[in-house]
Amino acid sequence: MEFLLSGQLLVAALIIGSIYGLVALGLNLIYGTMRLLNIAHGDLVMIGAYTGYWLFTLAAISPVLAMLAAGALAGLTGAALYFGLFRRQLTGSQPIERIEANSLLIFFGISIIIQNLTALAFTASPRTYQALDTLVRIGEVSIAQSRLVALAVCLGLSAAIVLFLRFSALGLSIRALIQHRTASRIVGIDVDRVQAFPFVLGLAGTLIGVTEQISPFMGFPFTIVAFVVIILGGLGNLAGGIAAGMVLGLIETYGVALTSANLRSVLIYGVFILVLILRPEGLLQRRRLT
Amino acid sequence: MRLPAPRETVPLLLVAAIAAILPVFGSDYYLGVGFALFGWIALVQSWTIVSGLAGYISLGHVVFAGIGGYVLVLTWGAVPVWAGAVLGALAAGLFALLVGLPVLRVRGPYFVILTFGLAEFAKYVVINIENALGKFGRLILGGPQVETLYWAMAAAALAGTLAVIATRRVRLGAGLAAVREDELAAETIGVPTVRFKLFAFALSALLPGFVGALFVLRTGYFEPAQAFDPVISFTIVTMAIIGGSEDARGPVLGALFLVVLSELLWASFPQVYMIILGALLIGFVLFAPNGVAGLLDRLRSTGGARAAT
Amino acid sequence: MKKFVGVLAASALAAAAWAAPAQAAEVRIGYSIAKTGLFAPAAPSQINAYNLWAEQVNARGGLDLGGKERRKVKLIQYDDQSNPGNAVKIYEKLITQDKVDLLLSPWGTPHHFAIASVLERHKFPMIGSTASSVQLRNMKPGNIWFTTAAVADKLATAMVGLLQTAGVKSVAVLTNQLPFGQENKKFLMPALKAAGIEVLVDADYPPNIKDMTAILVKVKAAKPDGVIGLAYPGDSILYINKAREIGIAAKFQYLLVGPAIGFFRGMFKGAADGIVTLGHWSPHGDNARSKAFYAAYKKKFKQEPDYLDSVEAWVSVEILEQAVAKAGLDKDKLRQAISTGTFDTIIGKVRFDGVQNAVTPTGFLQIQKGELHVVWPKDRQTAPLAPKTGWK
Repeated sequence: MEFLLSGQLLVAALIIGSIYGLVALGLNLIYGTMRLLNIAHGDLVMIGAYTGYWLFTLAAISPVLAMLAAGALAGLTGAALYFGLFRRQLTGSQPIERIEANSLLIFFGISIIIQNLTALAFTASPRTYQALDTLVRIGEVSIAQSRLVALAVCLGLSAAIVLFLRFSALGLSIRALIQHRTASRIVGIDVDRVQAFPFVLGLAGTLIGVTEQISPFMGFPFTIVAFVVIILGGLGNLAGGIAAGMVLGLIETYGVALTSANLRSVLIYGVFILVLILRPEGLLQRRRLT
Repeated sequence: MRLPAPRETVPLLLVAAIAAILPVFGSDYYLGVGFALFGWIALVQSWTIVSGLAGYISLGHVVFAGIGGYVLVLTWGAVPVWAGAVLGALAAGLFALLVGLPVLRVRGPYFVILTFGLAEFAKYVVINIENALGKFGRLILGGPQVETLYWAMAAAALAGTLAVIATRRVRLGAGLAAVREDELAAETIGVPTVRFKLFAFALSALLPGFVGALFVLRTGYFEPAQAFDPVISFTIVTMAIIGGSEDARGPVLGALFLVVLSELLWASFPQVYMIILGALLIGFVLFAPNGVAGLLDRLRSTGGARAAT
Repeated sequence: MKKFVGVLAASALAAAAWAAPAQAAEVRIGYSIAKTGLFAPAAPSQINAYNLWAEQVNARGGLDLGGKERRKVKLIQYDDQSNPGNAVKIYEKLITQDKVDLLLSPWGTPHHFAIASVLERHKFPMIGSTASSVQLRNMKPGNIWFTTAAVADKLATAMVGLLQTAGVKSVAVLTNQLPFGQENKKFLMPALKAAGIEVLVDADYPPNIKDMTAILVKVKAAKPDGVIGLAYPGDSILYINKAREIGIAAKFQYLLVGPAIGFFRGMFKGAADGIVTLGHWSPHGDNARSKAFYAAYKKKFKQEPDYLDSVEAWVSVEILEQAVAKAGLDKDKLRQAISTGTFDTIIGKVRFDGVQNAVTPTGFLQIQKGELHVVWPKDRQTAPLAPKTGWK
């Protein structure tokens, strides 16, 4: 059991956790403000991963730069979906429950389309590339540069977004929106601005793509994880979501180390089912603003 | 006893007619296509009992088919084939009863993603059980002939269609409809919502369990990732939405449409098939929420109105 | 409306059937393979071998059908997307709808295993290639055969011999959940125990594993002499990346399937040196067929054949061609010819005992300075086994 104290394991957990936190942050903002159940969330991550892959493979552009392009692409895709498909619905007269249920099915269709278009364009075969693979030693821990960059970017970006939303006027109105679920359509203008946030998914996607295999179907697990994280952390609770991402990273890494890698999916889906059944409104739910 | 309405007789006759015609071609290929078609009809009809009537949209219905298939391979050799398939159905129904109580408390979109998660969870649990048992996929050699399976599946499609028609006629159907419109109000006026929902959930699981067992007999091969493939759930929902889930016609039309489409595309253009599926789902949700059956009704009522003037 | 739908269905089915004309001019040979998906990196090795064979047969004037006539061959290929369930549907389709004359095998044990019952149901003989299964062997099917010598029980014995030669006293065993890996493990564990080789880490993992850190941290802490990775191509790549990052220093490191594929050595350059893998063929022997195959493959595809998969696929078509020359296209005669005949192949004479190659000995390859060498069995080795020294 000595290996449990390994710094290597802890760093692995922190990296996964910080990625989860950032990916979930995007979903938290979109779902929190608009009640659109974005099943295609993880597919934007996948788009980011492919962007990084192609820019590196074809033009030898470092993932550090590629992630900006990936962010832009994911942001554009997210915005296009919103303005093309959902804005009219949100500002229309349908009851919010109906929009929620429909948005889920529509996003499911979008997800299938994005995945299979990608498979058609780039084949469904997994890809890997060797970038930023210099090893960095910190004490007894040896870690590839790419993963170190992922950790730093995810943590830094998450913190920056949380601080920005806490101290800016836009942030205040967004958080107010999240608290009053039916108000979103009334102040549609603020919701429009939230559309910029999927850019973090493209960014995260590039970083994930350097460290794991890339495939058209890699995104879905991140959607599931993002749901778990925002439910654990509390809807609209951005800092709570980042903490919950870390918790899930720790559960996954140490859970797998203690049992078996075979049980990873059982673990993730088990937590998913439990939180949905026990507290669909979130475990770390903050008290409502009064 | 109310006389059967066309929306009740049409789907029954349609299923019976297809079942009678396909064997005339005398080819295993047509029997195979028919087998798949009837399987989907049975699955989608069952799905509409809980997801159409009661409005609890399940995106994890494959779990019942998976359980049915798994029970069949577990009992293979120990009990007669058909007893294994029936046991599979019962196991699926039992599973629905067990998880139904906590799961059906969750509503709306949360229910949708919960059912999806539940099916994936079950898949990975079975994968791990099989792994622990040292089984890496199971083969069934010497199962029933294609013709036998064909007729069994045709019977399942008819049974599913009948079940939907019957449910609509009894108090259960009215109760479920009330749940869908406004669950709180239904409870206030004395509808035993919990009991009704649970019963509907179990009812919608039985036939899929049987169908799952037949799927395994047909391929002669069981592997959890196949038996619990989420694409099956997704296809069920898409068929129901394309056909319409208001009455027993929708599932037959939806299944017929997608089975024919998939026969033309899946082997050579699998991604194109999936893309079309996704596009159809989006299109129907946005523009024709009652599916082809709803469109036909609308066509007929406007046609009728024009004739009257 | 009923009528309309009926007409629609009938015409669509008719259209589907129309796509499968019964031509007498060519021998139509069908197969499905993982062109996309998890196993796709491995499939080109096999597809290349099939295409090269078809080209050569047609250049010879066609396939000899029982000594009566020669007809050109036409390959019909589908993508099973690495999904064994799809392979089942496709082989069913090839037999009942496309009505092919012969079948070639798909890639990998899961797919071979899955389609076995389709072959039984239609009594359609098919020679397997990149697969072996003790479980299937025990079920005694009559229409599938495995060319490879790499059967789990024989492999376990050979592996223990190799480990003892290398002076390995303790190992970590990492196993992919897929059938071939698991079956290898099932026979390997007792063999290790009997030989007094200690198993310090025993970890299973799923086929689509993303991060091996947790497993390899354990391996590093345990400091075994050897790491036995019962891996497939995708996780072989992951292993090299992670073991290098974490610094696994074992002197013997083995990966079951993957390193024999050409791109693998190119991808990792020096880091893959010293990795041992499965394989029993080498172009360096004095087999004339073997040399001709190696030269033709290299000429056509501008790369070396995969020492494992291209070879097994080639052997399977060599056997098929010789069996058809004897028996023609009649399924019963063909089955008889394959089960009882002895065939000339690039791995020497091959004869089947049940589903299994009864002749060829099990072997291992090692990457040394970017080249693959046979290091086991000793009487066939082209270079002695060398310890793995770091990751460069």
